[in-house]
Amino acid sequence: MTMQIRFEMPSDEALLLKDMAERFVADHYSLAQRSRMLAAPATELPAHWPRMADLGWLGAALPEACGGLGLSPQQVLPLIEVLGAGLVLEPVTPATLQCATVIARLLPEDRASDVLAPILAGQQIEVLVAGPDGMEPAVSARPVPGGWELSGTVRLVPGGAAAAAFWVAVDIDGAAVLRVPAAEAEVTAYRLLDGQAAASVCFDGVLCPPDACWTGARAALDAGAEMALFGALAETSGLVAALLRATLDHVKLREQFGRPIGRFQTVQHRLADMYICREEVRSMVQLAAEAMAGEASDKRRRLLSAAKVKTGDCARAVVRDAIQFHGGMGMTDELAVGHMVKRLLVLGQAGGTRAGHLTAFSAAS
Amino acid sequence: MTDLLITPEDDAFRKQIRDFAARELDPDTRAKVARGAPLSREDFLGWHLSLHAVGWVAPSWPTEHGGPGWTARQRMIADEEFFRQHCPPMPGFGLKMIGPILIRFGSADQQARFLPRILSGEDWWCQGFSEPGAGSDLASLRTRATRIDGGWIVSGSKTWTTYAQYANWIFCLVRTDPQVKKQQGISIMLIDMATPGVSRRPIRLMDGTEEVNEIFLDDVFVPDALVVGEVNMGWTYAKALLEHERLGIGGVGRSKHLLERVRGMARAAGLDDDHETRSRLAALEIDIIAVEATTLRLLAAAEAGRPLGAETSLLKIRGTEIQQALTELALDIAGQSALPAAESGCLEPPFENVAYQFLNWRKLSIYGGSNEIQRSILAAQVLGL
Ligand SMILES: Cc1cc2nc3c(=O)[nH]c(=O)nc-3n(C[C@H](O)[C@H](O)[C@H](O)COP(=O)(O)OP(=O)(O)OC[C@H]3O[C@@H](n4cnc5c(N)ncnc54)[C@H](O)[C@@H]3O)c2cc1C
Repeated sequence: MTMQIRFEMPSDEALLLKDMAERFVADHYSLAQRSRMLAAPATELPAHWPRMADLGWLGAALPEACGGLGLSPQQVLPLIEVLGAGLVLEPVTPATLQCATVIARLLPEDRASDVLAPILAGQQIEVLVAGPDGMEPAVSARPVPGGWELSGTVRLVPGGAAAAAFWVAVDIDGAAVLRVPAAEAEVTAYRLLDGQAAASVCFDGVLCPPDACWTGARAALDAGAEMALFGALAETSGLVAALLRATLDHVKLREQFGRPIGRFQTVQHRLADMYICREEVRSMVQLAAEAMAGEASDKRRRLLSAAKVKTGDCARAVVRDAIQFHGGMGMTDELAVGHMVKRLLVLGQAGGTRAGHLTAFSAAS
Repeated sequence: MTDLLITPEDDAFRKQIRDFAARELDPDTRAKVARGAPLSREDFLGWHLSLHAVGWVAPSWPTEHGGPGWTARQRMIADEEFFRQHCPPMPGFGLKMIGPILIRFGSADQQARFLPRILSGEDWWCQGFSEPGAGSDLASLRTRATRIDGGWIVSGSKTWTTYAQYANWIFCLVRTDPQVKKQQGISIMLIDMATPGVSRRPIRLMDGTEEVNEIFLDDVFVPDALVVGEVNMGWTYAKALLEHERLGIGGVGRSKHLLERVRGMARAAGLDDDHETRSRLAALEIDIIAVEATTLRLLAAAEAGRPLGAETSLLKIRGTEIQQALTELALDIAGQSALPAAESGCLEPPFENVAYQFLNWRKLSIYGGSNEIQRSILAAQVLGL
């Protein structure tokens, strides 16, 4: 497999976004502020969605023609890493990286800009409803007079709790997507164990008119799924780095047996292993970002699978030792560590299984 | 599941245990244990009372104090069989910790007062050893007892106290002599949780439960009659306690229980023919066999008269590594089905407690002497490094 990878440096624009995100997280996402937000009903538009729109983050990865900033995956990576490490509760990845990508790819340009405008303005959230891989339909569509009738339930729709509309992947002689206002579905909102708002969405004979149906959606759905996977990898990368930082700070401060526990060689070696993991995660996620910008879809898919497997393994190793070296404190809900662990757990479980990605990787070689 | 403990002599005993559990265990409790759900006070206490009714609640106690007179081998069989029947694993604070300490070091009055109430379930004990500043380095504990007429005034704080919300008594390590070497100035005191000056703050764990607490002791009066054994001998007693039931710490029954659950998950996910899943399950089963074989080998040596030493730390290290690896395999099998939180109503059996158990069981390698500390014990006390 040959592919030129340059490990391009972030542009000034990307660094500016990252700096702003760091400031935003410091100002708005202390643990106390975050736990107040978690007390709000999951069905409410999350507190900072409009502000994120003002800062340009919601359209960062979308084409300029659709009202976005037109940044490449490499250039949005630093922003998503910071938002991931900051444990933000706004559904940036499912709404703006996945669903908005599908919309931008699938609809004619002017129609896409119209549909995306309220999302990019921070007025509403729209998300995709598909199977766990983000591509395959999980809802069935039956032709009826006046359009299509949808039936089926998807139990986990990330970001679905406060969504104004769903873009539902279905099979109509090939991949198609239907847009359904949320009011027409039965939405059971809840929070995942990391606090992110999600929903179980049930379509019980919902009628969908032909002008809300787009066929020939395979490429758009694939692109959305790749962006969703990339977003999760970027968040993972930010979190792994943050967990290492937190653990490093802790072992320098925590004293047992008359010295900081970071002075014990076992602890030092295991922290060195965590550092190795962080570096490998960074490399793999950057590799995935560059591959996303490339043309060859089989190589892109293969590298994304490789990044998912390696990142998942490293994240799990880092989670284990971050908790272990915090001792009892690492088990609590009272430090950021526990919340980062839960976020990593959720990110690791989503986006396809390890076994599935290993199979995809070896099949594509 | 491979069973190394099967011999014809053991069969009748095993059957007796199995039939009892099948008959007596409350079906709701059984269902909770079977799916790995958090257990309530009632779950534990109900099973405790069933066991007490037939004299089986304290397997390791001598018969004169109310034990059933089982051999070490029978205790292991019972432990495993109870797990297989989805019985709640009983918290050991009364039955395996302070009970045995009182039996060995307590006064006749203390034995008469407390042991029957531990057996009957009237008293629920919690363990006040760890402090905010004293975890791995337990001997550096700072809770202080000052001598007054007729007893002691105790001040300080304890933390990570499991199930203190259910307890009416706490046994504490406290510093009774600050002048001597740190291990030598420690005593064990028995404190009624209702004594003025004792207060509690629950600690929320990341898995959403509140199974541990902080305990504050503000000028709490402890009469002389509630100091265990001799003053300043607490460290020695506590160490003797840590050596109690050392053969059980491999948690073979617990591991087998989870292994079977994870097998069920693989079937439910349609992965029972998946090569990688099968070989990971097989490898973990072999790991469990190795712990069980090591346990039985040490048991045979003990029965032949060789006292057990620090080498049993290896059982704790391997046992907890296996259990944690099983929780990770469960996550891999469950995929996205592990994610919705308990309140969501979107949980899919049998994956409903997979995430909870992964998070909660990280404690296994931290408490009771972390795995790093256990390895240091092996290095120093067994290998002489
Ligand atoms: C869920 C839970 C329940 C508990 N229940 C109880 C209870 O009921 N009663 C009670 O008294 N206690 C209880 N504990 C406390 C437990 O015993 C302590 O958490 C444990 O002793 C570790 O102490 P610590 O948390 O202060 O971590 P620390 O001692 O700060 O250790 C942090 C990390 O540093 C490592 N470390 C420390 N020293 C060394 C060294 N010399 N070499 C290498 N590594 C080292 C440790 O292995 C650990 O990984 C419980 C803990 C938990 C998590």
